[in-house]
Amino acid sequence: MVPHWRRRLPLLLLSLLCPSFASAHSFENTAIVRTIDLGGSLVHVTTTYAVKALEDGAGVYTLALAERELKRTSWLEAKIKGQQNILAMESAGFDGESGVYLFSVELPETLRTNGTANLVVEAIETHATYPWPEEAGQKDGQSLKYETDLFVVSPYKTSVERIKIKSPSPNILSYSTPEGLDEFTMEIPVTKSGATITYGPFSNIPATADATFLKPKQKEVAVHYNYDHPVIEVTELKRSAEISHWGANLNIEDKIHLHNAGPKLKGHFSRLEHQASTFLGRMPPHVLPSLTLHLPPNIRSPYYYDLIGNVSTSHLRVGHLPAQQSSLLEVRPRYPLMGGWNYSFTLGWDSPLADYAGYDKSTGKYVIGVPLMTLVPGAVVGDAEVTIILPEGATDVDFFPPFTPIQSYVKTHVTYLDTVGRPAIILEYKDLTTKHAGTVYVMYKVPLSAHLKKPLAVATAFMGLFVLGFAVRRMDVRIQKK
Amino acid sequence: MPLAYSLPTDLSPATVVNASSLLRIVALALISGAAIASRLFAVINFESVIHEFDPWFNYRATRVLASEGFYEFWNWFDPTAWYPLGRVVGGTIYPGLMATSGVIYSILHGLNLPVDIRNICVMLAPGFSALTAWSTYMFTKEMKDESAGLLAAAFIGIVPGYISRSVAGSYDNEAIAIFLLMFTFFLWIKALKTGSAFFGTLAALFYFYMVAAWGGYAFITNMIPLHAFTLILMGRFSSRLYVAYSSWYAIGTLASMQVPFVGFQPVRTSEHMAALGVFGLLQIIAFAELVRAHVSSKQFQRLLYASVIGMGILGGLAIVGLTYKGWIAPWTGRFYSLWDTGYAKKYIPIIASVSEHQPTAWPSFFMDLQLLIFVFPAGVILCFRELRDEHVFVIIYAVVASYFAGVMVRLMLTLTPCVCVCAAVAFSSVLDTYINPVEPDAVEEEAETAGDGAVSASSTAVSTSSGSATKKGKKAAPAAQPGPLGGLVSTVSAVVSTKKGEKSRGIFGGDTRLAVLLNALGMLLFFVLHCTYVTSSAYSSPSVVLASTNPDGSQHIIDDFREAYYWLRQNTPETAVVMSWWDYGYQIAGMADRPTLVDNNTWNNTHIATVGKAMSSSEEVAYPILRKHDVDYVLVIFGGLLGYSGDDINKFLWMVRIAQGVWPDEIQEPNYFTAKGEYKVDDGASNTMKNSLMYKMSYYRFAELFGGNQAVDRVRGQQMPKIGPTLDYLDEAFTSENWIVRIYQVKKEDPLGRDLRTANAFEQGKRRKRSKPVARRRAIV
Repeated sequence: MVPHWRRRLPLLLLSLLCPSFASAHSFENTAIVRTIDLGGSLVHVTTTYAVKALEDGAGVYTLALAERELKRTSWLEAKIKGQQNILAMESAGFDGESGVYLFSVELPETLRTNGTANLVVEAIETHATYPWPEEAGQKDGQSLKYETDLFVVSPYKTSVERIKIKSPSPNILSYSTPEGLDEFTMEIPVTKSGATITYGPFSNIPATADATFLKPKQKEVAVHYNYDHPVIEVTELKRSAEISHWGANLNIEDKIHLHNAGPKLKGHFSRLEHQASTFLGRMPPHVLPSLTLHLPPNIRSPYYYDLIGNVSTSHLRVGHLPAQQSSLLEVRPRYPLMGGWNYSFTLGWDSPLADYAGYDKSTGKYVIGVPLMTLVPGAVVGDAEVTIILPEGATDVDFFPPFTPIQSYVKTHVTYLDTVGRPAIILEYKDLTTKHAGTVYVMYKVPLSAHLKKPLAVATAFMGLFVLGFAVRRMDVRIQKK
Repeated sequence: MPLAYSLPTDLSPATVVNASSLLRIVALALISGAAIASRLFAVINFESVIHEFDPWFNYRATRVLASEGFYEFWNWFDPTAWYPLGRVVGGTIYPGLMATSGVIYSILHGLNLPVDIRNICVMLAPGFSALTAWSTYMFTKEMKDESAGLLAAAFIGIVPGYISRSVAGSYDNEAIAIFLLMFTFFLWIKALKTGSAFFGTLAALFYFYMVAAWGGYAFITNMIPLHAFTLILMGRFSSRLYVAYSSWYAIGTLASMQVPFVGFQPVRTSEHMAALGVFGLLQIIAFAELVRAHVSSKQFQRLLYASVIGMGILGGLAIVGLTYKGWIAPWTGRFYSLWDTGYAKKYIPIIASVSEHQPTAWPSFFMDLQLLIFVFPAGVILCFRELRDEHVFVIIYAVVASYFAGVMVRLMLTLTPCVCVCAAVAFSSVLDTYINPVEPDAVEEEAETAGDGAVSASSTAVSTSSGSATKKGKKAAPAAQPGPLGGLVSTVSAVVSTKKGEKSRGIFGGDTRLAVLLNALGMLLFFVLHCTYVTSSAYSSPSVVLASTNPDGSQHIIDDFREAYYWLRQNTPETAVVMSWWDYGYQIAGMADRPTLVDNNTWNNTHIATVGKAMSSSEEVAYPILRKHDVDYVLVIFGGLLGYSGDDINKFLWMVRIAQGVWPDEIQEPNYFTAKGEYKVDDGASNTMKNSLMYKMSYYRFAELFGGNQAVDRVRGQQMPKIGPTLDYLDEAFTSENWIVRIYQVKKEDPLGRDLRTANAFEQGKRRKRSKPVARRRAIV
């Protein structure tokens, strides 16, 4: 816990001390291109800002997100175009009047007047689409609806702006044509070519992160499109990773609650129709018959069960390092997951500890990297709880999650023949996506005495039993001596 | 005395004693290991899962006990069972099994061993079977000696008759009850032998445990009094018997009344009166004995005896009178069905509908006991040789249990320990006789006639062993002239012909010994093979999961039950009431966690009959019943696609019979047969059958699956009509992969107030047929 506070504290202070450093006059957007890649539960939004500095020494650019955008966004990352480095980003407060949340991005170098930079901001939105119509029959297709604000919200003036919405299939059922945009464009505000809908270009847009603009002039657009894959949601993910030094083993167990967030099944499930569509190879898009997961390589003794026992319908192909970077697990739920249906299961495996852990001789500490989550492709993870259970007697525990959790704490976990229990690190997250699949690094010390604690305790207990038996056998408790 | 083979002479007696005691411990440990291991087929072939039906309830109750604590469990009212009645679980079960698992669970968790409660439940039966082997060893040791005890332990450890109820996962009362049965009997014998109130009390405590664990405790309640009574009749009354019986009965009965489900039954039902009567009789006799010790007059003695008998008769009459008055409950139906196997079918179809209540078929004796069933009578006869008090017990046990095992398949379980004990006594007698190196003094006897008889007897006894061994035995027979007496015959004839002198008994020569011993060993070996085979093939299927083989020989699991139950659990509201035939009630409650109308605790016949009526009536009749009971889903088991013969259509006649028992005017069994009296589901099925809800739900859209080809029901081997039944009041909600489980949702009433059939017809665009045009004309007055 301590490191996070320490890391966040100075920035927090900074933002408190200079609340007004998002000055509207330091930058101008010469062009904004926003590309929205529609998907099922995840929508990728990439916005490129061509930025021109209006004053010398401008080094902190301010991004703005409207309230709905912020709620949807689970991942936000800014880079300079063509560079790999991720720019530092901090929350810069909330503008109550316009209802806009501000984020400040530190540019790698300050710009002079008229100096330019290309800023690429990547965001992943979750729960942004919803099935429309809300119910679909078993044989029907699946279509989703996505609604968003038209203009990119920015505290700076923008010269040219264009918004592209890409649908995964060219089959777009409808899209809205905003009206009353004569102020910004003379042409038709929207064009469709193939699977892409382009709004704009719009020119000469004032600073949009402003109540005077947002309320009267911001438009809302909606796209209704076909989606050919099931919309999967992991409503709850509980991962526990248990480290065993004696067994040289890292056990990872995931408890997963799956939910098919596609249109609800209208009427009832007919096995007959399902078998017919399987037989013909025309599975309706909202049905999830099976799931392919990538697990780490070199895993052993995998298990897949749910609340009422083992599920026998799964196939595992174990990958071996270094040729294969992952093992492939094909999981079939007990029943095909129709729209609106749930399924919960537990998945676990053992892997050799050496693949994950190392020993740092200079500090005498062990370092272990635990993968944060198993990727369920295309799915958003609602609530995630990651528990990392260290060996009994581990001390000096430090941990470094790939990004800040909602909550994190250390508690004591008592399991097989433990005497004092093991430290367990618990990290809680919300709305995890593909981008979040990082590694939690944990450092800890285990003294030799802690290693020997368990065998000694068990040996002592048995010894006690034998001594007791020995004494009882030799005691004469008869009242009447023969 | 001449010796057949030499024995080492340089061993001190202490070494022999120590070595044999070590060997015994090792042997017992190995037997326990074998007993546990042979029960694990189900876990290895399938998984660690609770089997069948009743165990699911026990498992569910145990989970409540483990998670909520004992008092919560004790006061547990389960509103989801027997909807809408609910069930007071704490007061209507034998809590011994759950309490045992709960105790094991808390001990393990106290040691920081977080073993899942499911695994404890699954492994409880194998674990207790090891204890059963040990208690059988102790019991048999009292009968004969340690070697017989070890044999008996080995027998009971692997005999299929016991394994059938105690494989891993079959978490039922019998799992611990057989151990308790044998241990209580052992303690009783011990108490009787020593006349110790301590052992009598121990017997009472274990009797209490047994009462808390299994309804079959009535077997002990009647066996021990019967034994005591027989001993009295044989003139073997002693203070030992008095102490043992009185301490057992007084403490045992008081303790047993602490179990809520038993309550006051020990003093108020006929099943328990024998124990009470014998207790009274013993007091009277003891009193008479006391008086006789002080009085010498013959006349007074005669008077005393007359009064004793008079009091006995009076006591008996009092019991009869109380029964008629209603103070003592008369015998229950289950009891009558023990004497008249046709009784249940006539009066209580619900008992007769359970397959394990059927009379036993002959082959199952061989399947469950193999060679033991043949050796068993010999063991009983051997008990007559000494006829000590405990032998009387075994003889009574053998007679009573044999009868019961013949009446009900399920009671094979109580016969099995007795068979193992007797067979072990017989077998160890043979082995003793033939291993004993002492040769008798040569005495000329007319060996020819006896010899022939012996050979034929022994060859029948080893009919299961290989032919070569038998031949060897025959060849060896003439070689050793005077001693070809088969082990059995020698001992039996020794009993029968008491004329022979003690000295003439024994075996001559080493080859004779070898022949018989090898034979015996071969028999034992084949017994082991048979047990393993039967266990693995017949008794290790969880029945929740079905197994078949893929074309490439690998195992394919058919998991339809759990598929459907899990679907219910995950995708229906938690309060959705599921109606199914009572067989599946516990499984639905355990796996799907949904309220059920009826379940395997068949205490309310009318409620079950209601379900039977709903299943066997037409939709229009069934619909109000379903709505009145708030039924949301109806679940049927249908095996027609896969050929799973335990499905609801095959059980359907029982539903009809049970419903007929309550509504004889509305449901009649003959209506479900064709005119020729056949039970058919194809075109020729009777109309009542075709219109019944069960038929419709089973075959709904079944014919369409065959895509225009002839649809075939693979269980009944009948061709189905091309146009299947239609449903108006129910909707198909879920069908499992192999169509074994089909779930239907009950429609709500039509919002426009039409009946659902009309509403359906309207929706499908059918025009309503006008019934007769209404006459517009007014009647002229």
